[in-house]
Amino acid sequence: MTAPVVLEKVTKRYEDVVAVKNVDLETREGEIFGIVGPSGAGKSTLLRLVDLLEAPDEGRVSVLECEADSRSNEACTIRRKIGMVLQKPVVLNRSVANNLGYALRIRGWPEEKIMPAVDRELKRLGLEDRRTKNARTLSGGEMQRLSFSRSTIFSPKLLLLDEFAANLDPANVAILEKLVKGYMEEDSSRATILITHNLFQAKRMCDRIALVWGGEVVEVADARRFFDDPEDSRTTAFTSGEAVY
Amino acid sequence: MIVVIAVVAVLIIGAAAAVVLTSDKKGSLLLATTTSTQDSGLLDYILPTFEKEYKCKVLVVAVGSGQALTMGQNGDADVLLVHSPSSEATFVQNGYGTNRTSIMYNWFVIVGPDADPAGTKNATSALDAFSRIYDNGTSGDCKFVSRADNSGTYTKELSLWAALNSTYTKENVTQWSSTWYLQAETGMGAVLDLCEEKNAYTLSDDATFYSRVESGLIPHLNITKTGDSKLKNQYSVILVNSTKWPHINATLAKDFLDWMSSKAGQDLIKSYVLYGHQLFTSNAPGYTSTSLSHTRMTVAASVPRTARG
Amino acid sequence: MALDIGYDVVQVTLLSLYVSGCATTVGSLIGIPLGARIGLRQFGGKGLLKTITYTMYGFPPVISGLVIYYLLSRSGPLGSLGLLFTPTAMILAETLLVIPLTTGITISSVTEVDKAIKDTITSLGTTRRQGEWTIMKEAWVGIVMAIMVAFGRCIAEVGAAYMVGGNIQGQTRVLTTAIMMETRLGKFDYAVGLGVVLLGVAMAVFLFLKYIQEKEML
Repeated sequence: MTAPVVLEKVTKRYEDVVAVKNVDLETREGEIFGIVGPSGAGKSTLLRLVDLLEAPDEGRVSVLECEADSRSNEACTIRRKIGMVLQKPVVLNRSVANNLGYALRIRGWPEEKIMPAVDRELKRLGLEDRRTKNARTLSGGEMQRLSFSRSTIFSPKLLLLDEFAANLDPANVAILEKLVKGYMEEDSSRATILITHNLFQAKRMCDRIALVWGGEVVEVADARRFFDDPEDSRTTAFTSGEAVY
Repeated sequence: MIVVIAVVAVLIIGAAAAVVLTSDKKGSLLLATTTSTQDSGLLDYILPTFEKEYKCKVLVVAVGSGQALTMGQNGDADVLLVHSPSSEATFVQNGYGTNRTSIMYNWFVIVGPDADPAGTKNATSALDAFSRIYDNGTSGDCKFVSRADNSGTYTKELSLWAALNSTYTKENVTQWSSTWYLQAETGMGAVLDLCEEKNAYTLSDDATFYSRVESGLIPHLNITKTGDSKLKNQYSVILVNSTKWPHINATLAKDFLDWMSSKAGQDLIKSYVLYGHQLFTSNAPGYTSTSLSHTRMTVAASVPRTARG
Repeated sequence: MALDIGYDVVQVTLLSLYVSGCATTVGSLIGIPLGARIGLRQFGGKGLLKTITYTMYGFPPVISGLVIYYLLSRSGPLGSLGLLFTPTAMILAETLLVIPLTTGITISSVTEVDKAIKDTITSLGTTRRQGEWTIMKEAWVGIVMAIMVAFGRCIAEVGAAYMVGGNIQGQTRVLTTAIMMETRLGKFDYAVGLGVVLLGVAMAVFLFLKYIQEKEML
């Protein structure tokens, strides 16, 4: 089993601010790896580094056994094996069906293979009747489900979720969590990194969890131990809601 | 959808292009002339006859006199019809053109307001009128609007000032006080409009004046002096140097010159009437109203033409 | 009134459409991809290039006319093409004028596209070119506006059009040069009439452009 994501002594600065400092991280196949921490701690930065949207100032980032410069063509190849869902639902200004098929079209899939894949996703999302409607007419929850499908329709090996259910009502949160779990169960070599504010969600979904605080990784532990018996006092403070920052 | 847009755009542009793109250049003559010449309506009146007889098209570009001569110098025109004698002489002297031939003349007119504060109606000559305008202008009793551009009219105005007083060179005149001497740097029509507004005098060509009167735009302006030999506005045709510019349609240009100075052309020019006024007096060399003969410079053996003369 | 005007107004109108249409098309084909590249890529001197582009919004049309005139004059470098006083010369002068407009407005439009959309597009594994094309489609409203502004500039152009076209009847007389001529002649009613025709034609074009701008994307 190889590590889908490896970060070694990674540091990233934005002008004067150090977003991420000397981070070591490694995820495993088949696991949902959670990242929690206060706002502004550097969580999203880590995700952007993993998705090769940015390059680290120091250290190395290895994704799916590849270290690629974020601007290179190689990076594009790697990204085609990664699916990302952001907090804000992002849909392109086109029909639901074309939103779903977008990732496949850019990979050069022929239309005969795209149509059945799109049909399958529409069915899974329950959006068959909205197939030809412009995606911007969907509700927030529907859009986020669409975002999820759009980012997984090409069966990526690595799934990156940045507070992907943060703005949704509980019903939609549940639907999306189920989609993620279902996705992971389909193939045991897949891996997921989930950033969340919602500690309950972290407990529900994640196999291991990391606490990021002030740009540093404070602790990484199995979910149970993270909540019940953490090593670091900051972890205790954070999970109990008593952290002052 | 993009396809639809593209198709529609192409159709519209294509249809327009089909209407627009014209016949080949072989049968066309590019005539550079002045705006006042075109605006007088003379060319619209006489050119169809020429075009029909010589089976060609005359493309008229109307700009300032100075620009027309520059076009000839740069080879951007085949033939010129201008009215700026001193500049023309220099032009030919420098070898830019040949066969400079007088064709016709009209009159510059001194135009002033109803009240005629400078008393130009009583002037004995054009120079006397200008003298009165200058005296009254500098003493604050009247105004004058000048073209102040590269037009033939402005050249004439400057020559009148210089003839009145040799110290009134262009450098001096352009320094005159703008409380009475307004340098407008615009077309003749607009200058007349300005005179109407400011109760001012100006030097104009007769055609533009009559047109403006007809449009009802200058009800308070009148011609106060004309007919003086100094106010004669002489037009000439000049052929652009075809040795220097082999691409120009030299044959057709020569035909144009010949036709303009022939009896047929000259009679036609004389017959042009604008709002009840005969505008132009034909004065090509050798032309009189009763003249029967004509000089034909070129012999085109095989092209059948209707007889001229 | 129109019957008395002495030249074919329909032909003049069609010529206006032809010249403006071509200049807008060429200006858009050059400016829009160029603007997308400038707006979406990082490179040294990007800020300076943007400033220059925006400054050119105020480029005096007469100068464009002069530049083309000197290029196409028989005594100029491209004189042997014999393009002066043809519709092509007018198209060249107007294209020069609208390229900064199409480029600049496209730059703004693609920059405006939400960063989240841009990140999503990148993360889905697009090549740079695929990504730029998709962002351009997301910036559709702004890009069509660039075309509208370009067309408006062209159809209203008079100074450069007169200078390189010569207002030759039946050849290079367009609505704007005809209006200028009629104004000079004091025929204000003809001038206004031609102006109304121009606005009518422009409105038809803008209605069409508005339609494609607002059309629901599928």
